[in-house]
Amino acid sequence: MKDLEKSAFWKKNSKLIYLITAIALLALWRPHAILYGIQRGSLYSLIGLPLSLTLGVVGIMNLAHGDFLSLGIYVSYMFFMNLGVDPLLSIVPVTLILFGVGVLVYKLTITKVLKSGHLNQLLLTFGISMILIESLNVIWTSRPRNVYVPYASSSMTIANFTFGTYELLYVLFAFAVLIGFQLFLKKTRLGQATYAVGQNPRGAKIVGINIGFVYLVVFGVSIAILGIVAGVMLPRSSIFPMVGAPYTMRSFCLVAMAGLGNLPGILISGIVLGIGEAIVQSIPGYSGWSDLVFFGVLIAVISIRSMRRLAL
Amino acid sequence: MKTIKYSVILLLLIAAVLLPVFTDAYFISVAITILTFMTLSLSWDMMLRTGQLSFGTAGFFGLGGYTAVIISADLGVDPYTSIIIGGLVAGSIALVLGIAILKLREIYFAITTLALASVFSVIIRNLHKITGGPSGKIVYQTLFDYDSTKIYWLMLGIALGTIVISELFKRTRIHFAVDSIRADEVVAKSHGVDIFKYLIFVFVVTSMIQGVVGAAYAQQYGFVSPESTFSAHYLLLPISMALVGGIYSTIGPIVGAIILGLSSEYLKLMMPYGHLIIYGVIIVLVVLFIPRGVYGTIRDFISERKHR
Amino acid sequence: MRRVFLLAIVLAVMAMMAIAATPIKIGAVVPLGDITGDQASKAMRLAVEEINAAGGVLGRPLELIVIDDELKPEKGAAAIEKLATVDRVDFFVGGMSSGVHLAQIPIMKRYQKITIWIGAASYLCENAVGPTADWYFHLHPWDYQQGESYGRGWSDIVAAYPEITTDRIFLAYEEGGFGTASYDSYIALQKLAAQGEGTWAGVINDFRGESFKSAALGGGDYRAMLQQAKAYNPDLFIWAGYDADALPILQQAKEIGFAPKLFVGAPPGWPAHFGDSPLAEGVTLYGMWAPTLNKVSPVAEHFWNAYIERYKEEPATYFAPLGYTNIYFLVEGIKAAGTIEKAALIKALAELEYDSPIGEVLTISPSNVIKHQGFTAQKILQWQNGEQQVIWPLELKTSEPEYPFPKWEGR
Repeated sequence: MKDLEKSAFWKKNSKLIYLITAIALLALWRPHAILYGIQRGSLYSLIGLPLSLTLGVVGIMNLAHGDFLSLGIYVSYMFFMNLGVDPLLSIVPVTLILFGVGVLVYKLTITKVLKSGHLNQLLLTFGISMILIESLNVIWTSRPRNVYVPYASSSMTIANFTFGTYELLYVLFAFAVLIGFQLFLKKTRLGQATYAVGQNPRGAKIVGINIGFVYLVVFGVSIAILGIVAGVMLPRSSIFPMVGAPYTMRSFCLVAMAGLGNLPGILISGIVLGIGEAIVQSIPGYSGWSDLVFFGVLIAVISIRSMRRLAL
Repeated sequence: MKTIKYSVILLLLIAAVLLPVFTDAYFISVAITILTFMTLSLSWDMMLRTGQLSFGTAGFFGLGGYTAVIISADLGVDPYTSIIIGGLVAGSIALVLGIAILKLREIYFAITTLALASVFSVIIRNLHKITGGPSGKIVYQTLFDYDSTKIYWLMLGIALGTIVISELFKRTRIHFAVDSIRADEVVAKSHGVDIFKYLIFVFVVTSMIQGVVGAAYAQQYGFVSPESTFSAHYLLLPISMALVGGIYSTIGPIVGAIILGLSSEYLKLMMPYGHLIIYGVIIVLVVLFIPRGVYGTIRDFISERKHR
Repeated sequence: MRRVFLLAIVLAVMAMMAIAATPIKIGAVVPLGDITGDQASKAMRLAVEEINAAGGVLGRPLELIVIDDELKPEKGAAAIEKLATVDRVDFFVGGMSSGVHLAQIPIMKRYQKITIWIGAASYLCENAVGPTADWYFHLHPWDYQQGESYGRGWSDIVAAYPEITTDRIFLAYEEGGFGTASYDSYIALQKLAAQGEGTWAGVINDFRGESFKSAALGGGDYRAMLQQAKAYNPDLFIWAGYDADALPILQQAKEIGFAPKLFVGAPPGWPAHFGDSPLAEGVTLYGMWAPTLNKVSPVAEHFWNAYIERYKEEPATYFAPLGYTNIYFLVEGIKAAGTIEKAALIKALAELEYDSPIGEVLTISPSNVIKHQGFTAQKILQWQNGEQQVIWPLELKTSEPEYPFPKWEGR
């Protein structure tokens, strides 16, 4: 049994091992680009992971995902400006607050559209997105703000190679959240119930799982995670109402690339896309094409996967 | 019953054509915007009826616009022909892309079409010489020299054409094919329906419509730019209009376009600050309480009463 | 017969009094959802209130109607239509975005009302308006004019301070319309300079440009571009992006250890409390106005105090004094002409000199295509101790330039 398991492990993870080797080689060629790519890519993954959970379990395409991130950033900003709380420390209260917001939004609106079909859910989240962005705009105006903490631009030098260290936090948190999710899904009762609901909602109901409660927790948690991201992003990012919006689209791309329900895939896809972007950006004169990397790789992966599934 | 229906339609048609006579240029320009979005909304709904959710409206809208402005400005083609060519280019690209991606299902197709608009935008932004790059491109001779009445009639014509095509889809064999594909693909296939052929056909036709509208819109103002022409605005608003009005119908997008188009303009005049919040609230309320859309709810209500 | 005559005179006088009481209508189109449009409209309103309090113009009050263009071309165009046909305004003012303006120009050409525009820097707008539009007055400098003015600025500065040099220039430009227009104008100016012509001759020798994605549009990672800038080792580093980029670029420059002798930023506006950040010290900027001009210009000081008193907030962008200028310029023209009749008013406006809170006197001269262009230059400023100080034009300067850009250690 053990030998079979071992060879199955290598087989299953061979692609991953090739990938890591490729990245290591690229790192020798363009070290800065790879590092920045890993850092940025982890940020994309960090934001994409909660969306994958929501989409996979509750089935909702949350167009307001990035705007909840913007909300979290503003709340974090308030903690910093009014109470002097360090951004990383403010992660705790902001996460709790956003959990509450997620639960509130879920109870008020999402429960009602669960049966109305995907399109109505889409339109609902579009409406929520608009309300969020415009409310932030009215309260704080579109003028960007910033918070300054000295360690946000800290750097380290190893063997003549100087690099920024703050954004490694993105990598740290991305892995932490992924591992946290995996542990939750596999080891806790609620997590196992969530996994069941994600696989087969009707079956889960028959077995007696309270689907409504599972949905509530999942949605709340996914918005809460954005609170963590907000705290980590705060010192590095300008704060304005549309700050989170571009990440919504990127998160959907990650979910499409990794496939529904594939949480580790989100982390890998995010990092790969981040590296791709960074490499293109480091080529003088071609950085304008870096967006294309994102979409090009996305389309390629989706097409390849669909061609393999062309049994139908 | 039928004569009443036809006379109502005829009256509406006459009213629509004669609208510029009764109202001022401002109302006409609002009406032009409503017609533009109505056409986009209808074309999106037509694709939706096949069961495939497409997010490509903004992409083909922008393609049509760019094609028209480029050939008008650089090749001297007259605006009217450029609109037709804009539609044809959008349709051809849809054909090529469709063959490649229509095998994808549901959310993957949706996200890929969403990515399309961004891809077009990035490519156009980087090809300075042909497209004018990020600053955009202008053409000096705008359509009808911005005579809003003539532009209104053009847009009305395009909208009416789209309505006719939409109804045709509903009444011919295409309707049965498309409905059965949406209901259950396996069953449809076992009945001999060539799913793929119909999906491609609808995709190309709807993309052509979006290209034509995009070209007319661009020629109206005489300029295109990657940031404004491919804006997500041209995707999200038509979808919202179809949903608010009632999807899977022709009248639904029309109703939705009128409701959302008028309310967005007049809300702004009543509330200079924060009108977009109210707009978002309206959309949320409609989804929560009128899930089948305004027309959809009315239609179901009427048919319920009929079957009492 | 005499009675009829008397009646006619009474009626005529009553009619004239009625006309005298009818307001002069000014229609403004600005993006109210953005701070530039918001403050421009508030400044315009302030100007209108001041003028009406002083008795109006030609005995008639002013009425200002503001419509939000929502930064969308079709909304901007519809706004012009509404102002022209429903509100029947006499003049068009306002503006910010070039893209929106391009959609409005065909409609404006139909109505040909006197238009005094404070927005739109893209030369495409100028081309679209054309050389025969007498009724069009454009106050904001065109992008190529801004570029030329910077050349004059640096020439003067390099001449006045021999230790400052701008031989090698690296431009980081955001990849959208705004940044690319900057890049194009720098390339053109450098070509001229290489032939010994133009305002940059002798000031610029080597030039390199690299694009980046602005944080305002979903980017915010400048490190790849900054690495290239660091490798190029410029005398002057300048970035053309948006206010959302200002602090992140500085943060990341600090992170990779890039501190050129001149760090210049050229966004259309700056983030809130930028001056409070320790990273802001010594950052040079291009701008049209700074609060410190209150020290040298009484008009600027009056505007500053009046705006704060009325709205309990500080003007944060040059669009505030520009909006104020917009209204006063029009009104001074009407007073000079003594009428709102078109031909006379155009003539009066073309010859007007207005001391504006922007800190300079506004006069009208032709630009590349149009006849009536207002401001043609920007200023060079520098953040010192949290305030924007003017370092060029030298006649208006409020402080000496800080050179070189201070090191990152300890910030």
